[in-house]
Amino acid sequence: MENMIYILYICMFVPLLLSLPLIEKSSRRIMVFLLIGISAALFISEVNGLMLRLLDYDALYVTTTVTPATEEIIKAIPVLIYAFVITDNRKKLLAASFAVGIGFALFENTYILITSLDSVSIEWAIVRGFSTALMHGICTAAVGFGMSFVKQKKKLFYCGTFALLLMAIIYHGIFNMLVQSTDWLKYFGFVLPLLTYVPIVIALVIRVKNKKKAVNATTE
Amino acid sequence: MYLIANIIVCVCALAGFIYGGIQFFRPKKALYAQMITLSLGCITFGRLFNIVRLMTGGTLSDHFQLGFLGLIGSLMFFFSANYGTVDSLVDEGSKELKKYRLIAIAAPVVIVAMYVVLFLLSDIPTLWKILGAVLTLFAMSASYFNLKHLIFPDVEFGVVKCLRKYNLLALIYTAAIFTECVALSRDNELLTLISCCVTGIVTAAMIPTVVRGIEKWKT
Repeated sequence: MENMIYILYICMFVPLLLSLPLIEKSSRRIMVFLLIGISAALFISEVNGLMLRLLDYDALYVTTTVTPATEEIIKAIPVLIYAFVITDNRKKLLAASFAVGIGFALFENTYILITSLDSVSIEWAIVRGFSTALMHGICTAAVGFGMSFVKQKKKLFYCGTFALLLMAIIYHGIFNMLVQSTDWLKYFGFVLPLLTYVPIVIALVIRVKNKKKAVNATTE
Repeated sequence: MYLIANIIVCVCALAGFIYGGIQFFRPKKALYAQMITLSLGCITFGRLFNIVRLMTGGTLSDHFQLGFLGLIGSLMFFFSANYGTVDSLVDEGSKELKKYRLIAIAAPVVIVAMYVVLFLLSDIPTLWKILGAVLTLFAMSASYFNLKHLIFPDVEFGVVKCLRKYNLLALIYTAAIFTECVALSRDNELLTLISCCVTGIVTAAMIPTVVRGIEKWKT
């Protein structure tokens, strides 16, 4: 069906939008960025289609070199506006940027699911859920981390954020190339986001525990 | 040959990235060193992209590749580290030190001259002329501060005095990646391998040099 992507967008976007007034303020912020991520995915689908036509439908080159750049740039724009206009709080920025990435992946996964119903399986769902969704979240969160310097160290912010964006684009490109390879390399692609995500989460948990210990020690 | 060359750089940069991560990504550690560690991360990712591209049957010199962004990202982090964190401590803009600022311009001038001779006026594909121009732009800004901090007297705080070796390594790194791009534009495998070996050695030596330099800040 020609307008399937728009039908899907309306089906996902509207219920989530209507739920916004009913949820708590901190959750609402995350939900707004999730909706922004979904909208970014819709916008990107048009941009990527245009790129594919411009590059003579060389799908492998486009998906491994062009789409990582376009997707990461578009996902970074709302986070950049948020950092500039509303807050440069690192925790809020990281959560917001991760939500943009996850919203993006959510829409992308669902669209792929309904357009290739014959070839999807439980394995496909596990791989998409643990690898692609996580990869989108990690890449946008990395850029969001750089943006937390927006007001504290302006000299660092411009170059630092752009360099982090480049890092995210390369990471995305490596992932796309690995998962599209036909040999054993694709399995490495499937676990790459988890290999990145798990050490970060462990480091964060250890840091929070150490902080709690330090607070407890000072109160005692 | 390209695969071996990229593996050498990737392994060396990864070792530096992990060592730098352990040393500097803790609370109250110097942002300067964190930036340099991230630049090594950029180099690692860029090279990893090149390795995967070559292992999946692709080439590096026919089209634009995302691995090139790794070089740009690393130069941006080098620039950010020097300009964004320590330059304001070193240079207050006094007239007596003007000559050092002028001498430092030599680095970007040499890079532009090399670009004109080796890329712009050479018989190479247009793609490489554009990539060379982009690399030149970022190499100019990073190398200016690297040379400036290499020669600046830094009488008051002694901040960059301890980091002269690092700045020298960063200048060698810039020259090596420039040479690598020249070699790639001409499909010269041997020169690519040599320049990558130099890049590998420099990236491996960078973090230990910064660790030693920053330790002197405290003493």
